[in-house]
Amino acid sequence: MSFPGKGLLKGLAVTMRTMTKRSVTAHYPDALPELPPRSRGVIALIEENCTVCMLCARECPAWCIYIDSHKDTIPATTEGGRDKSRNVLDRFAIDFSICMYCSICVEVCPFDALHWSPEFEYAELDIRELTHEKERLREWMWTVPAPAALDEGAEPAKEITTAQKAAERQGRPTP
Amino acid sequence: MAELVEVLLRVAVVLLAFLVVPLLVGQVEHKAMAHMQSRVGPMYAGGFHGWAQLVADGVKFVQKEDVVPAAADRTVFKMAPAVALLPYLVAMVAIPIGPGLVGQDLDIGLFFVVAVMGVGVVGTLMGGWSSANKFSLLGGIRVAAQLMAYELPFVLAAASVAMAAGTLSLTGIVEAWNPWWLLWQAPAALVFFVAGLAELQRPPFDIPVADAELVFGPYTEYGGLRFALFILAEYAGIVVLSALTAVLFLGGWHGPWEDQVGWLWTLAKTGLVAFVVVWVRVAYPRLREDQLQRLAWQGLVPLVLFQLAVTAIGVVVMSS
Amino acid sequence: MTVVEVLFLLLGLVAAGSALLVVTTRTMVHAALWLVVTLGAVAGIFLLLAAEFVAWVQILIYVGAVVVLLLFALMLTKAPTGPQPDLDARRALPAVAVAGLVLAVLGTTVVAGFHGVELDLDGAVVGSAQTTGATIFQQWVLPFEVLSVLLLAALVGAIVLSRGTGRRGGE
Repeated sequence: MSFPGKGLLKGLAVTMRTMTKRSVTAHYPDALPELPPRSRGVIALIEENCTVCMLCARECPAWCIYIDSHKDTIPATTEGGRDKSRNVLDRFAIDFSICMYCSICVEVCPFDALHWSPEFEYAELDIRELTHEKERLREWMWTVPAPAALDEGAEPAKEITTAQKAAERQGRPTP
Repeated sequence: MAELVEVLLRVAVVLLAFLVVPLLVGQVEHKAMAHMQSRVGPMYAGGFHGWAQLVADGVKFVQKEDVVPAAADRTVFKMAPAVALLPYLVAMVAIPIGPGLVGQDLDIGLFFVVAVMGVGVVGTLMGGWSSANKFSLLGGIRVAAQLMAYELPFVLAAASVAMAAGTLSLTGIVEAWNPWWLLWQAPAALVFFVAGLAELQRPPFDIPVADAELVFGPYTEYGGLRFALFILAEYAGIVVLSALTAVLFLGGWHGPWEDQVGWLWTLAKTGLVAFVVVWVRVAYPRLREDQLQRLAWQGLVPLVLFQLAVTAIGVVVMSS
Repeated sequence: MTVVEVLFLLLGLVAAGSALLVVTTRTMVHAALWLVVTLGAVAGIFLLLAAEFVAWVQILIYVGAVVVLLLFALMLTKAPTGPQPDLDARRALPAVAVAGLVLAVLGTTVVAGFHGVELDLDGAVVGSAQTTGATIFQQWVLPFEVLSVLLLAALVGAIVLSRGTGRRGGE
C-alpha cells in the first residue's frame, strides 16, 4: 500500500525503532575491546632466545630495530680445547613511532624470540618514549597469548613430531 | 508593594525557565539523537550518562577568547547574539503554562509572540552581514529568503486557531480549545510546526547553516560566549515553538485532572513537541534551497489558506 | 509631566534621532539597522497611546518582514562591510524640502483632525484587536478595500516586471 507521506513516516519509524534498541557503541575505556586472534598490538621479545643473528634488524623495512652486542669468550672446559665465543645482547630496542606493524621481524626470527602481543595501550606524550628497550619488550612477553589451536586434522607441529620420534626410539611411551 | 514582588517573582521564574529549559532540550537532543543513530552520546560529564555535558560546554565557551574578525563591523558583530537571543526571552513571558501561570497575560498574546519571534532573525542577519565573510553572507541571505517564505504560513496558521477561538489571547485560546480541534485544526498545526522549524533554521530546514557548504552559515566567525548565545537562541526558539504549538493546537493544560496538574500537562505536551523537533532532525535529510521555497509557496501556503476557509466555515456554522 | 508623557517624549526623540541617522549614516546596512530602532520606537509610541494591536503589527510587519527584506536586498548588492564615503548625497536638499513638506501636511492633518481629543489611558483599551478590527471592517471598510486593490495592482506590476518580455532565456 502506498500513500503520500509514506516515506516520511517510514523515516520516523526507523529512527524510533533504532532508539529503542541497544546502541552499538563500544565503551572502550570502560570495557576492553575483543580483539581477533593474532592481533598486532606490540612486539614482545624473549631475550633468552635471541642469538643476535641480526636477521630481524636487516629485514625490517622501516629500520626501526636497534641491536647492539658484543662477543663473550667462554674459556675451554677441557684441557687443550678451544675457547668458545658467544654473542651477548647489549641492547635490543624497537622504535614504535617508526614501526609499521608489518610483522616481518616476527616471521623471520629463527629462534622465536619475537612475538606479537595484542596490547595496544602504550601511547606516550613524548615520541622518544615510543622506543621500547629490551626490558620493556620483555615485559610485553607476559601478555602474549598462547598460539591458536591447530585446525581439525592438521599436521602437528614439526617440533612435536621430532620429539615424538626421539621418544619412540628410546622406547618411551608417547602421549 | 505586593504587586511589585509578584512581578519580580514572575520575571525571575521566566528567566530561570529561559536558562534551564533550553539546556534540557539540548541534552534531550544529545541523548535522543545519539540513540536514534545507535550511539550513546555524552557519557562522562557529570557522572551519570553525561547529564552535565551542556554545563561543561558552557564553561568551555566562557573560557574561550573573544575573537572579532579584523574586517568585521565590530558594533553590529558584537550586538548580533543579543538581538538573536532576547526576543525568545521576551516571547516566553507571554506563554501561559496553566490558568494564571503566565509571566504576563496579554490581550493579544498570540500577536505579541509571533511578532517578537520574527525579530530574532534580524540578529542572525546582523551576524551574517557584519562578519565580513562570504560564508556568513551567503548564510544570511539564505536565512532572509527562508524567513520571507515561511513567515506567511506561520502567521496564517496562528491566525486560523485565533479565528476558531475568537480571541488573540493565548489563555483565551486554550480555554476555548476543544478536543475535536485536533482534527479541525490539524492542517494548521502541521503548517505551524513546519514553518516554525523553518524559521528556527532547524533541520531539515538548516540550509543556512549547512556545514558541508557554508561552514556554519551566519555563525561561522563567532566563537566562545557569543557563539554559545546563538546556540542558546536556537534552543530557546525550540522551547518557544514547542510551547506555542502545545498551547495553540494541543490544548495546553487540558487533560485528566487539569484542575490539579494542568501546568504539568502543558509541560508534557511541550516536551513531546520538542522531542518531535529532535526526532525530525534525525529522520530527514536537509532540504535543498529550491525544495525549501517550493514547500513553502506550493505546499504550506495553499494548505493554510484552505485551512483558513475551513476554519471560517466552521466558525460560522457553529455560531449560527 | 506624567510618566507617560516623559516616556512619549523620550521615544519620540529616539525615533526622530535614529531616523536622522538612517539618512545620514555612510554604511548601508547601518541605515537598515537604525530603521529597526526607529520603527521600534514608533511601536513603543503606539503602545503608549494604548494602540496595542497596531504596535505589535508594526513590529511583526516592519521589523520582522520589511527590514529583513531590506537587509536581504542589501546583502544581494555589493554593499561593503565598511562605510561608503561616496554615497550619493547630492539630492539632500530637495529631499529635506520634500520631507519638511510631508511633515507639514501630515502635521496639519493630524492637528486639524484630532485637535483637543482626549485619550483616556486608564479606561478600557481603546486600541485592542477587537476595537481595531471593528473600526477597520465597519467604519473604514471602503478605504481598506481600496488599499487592497492598490496592493494587488502593485503585486501584478511586480510579476509583470519580473517576468520580462518572455522572449529572453530558455523559458
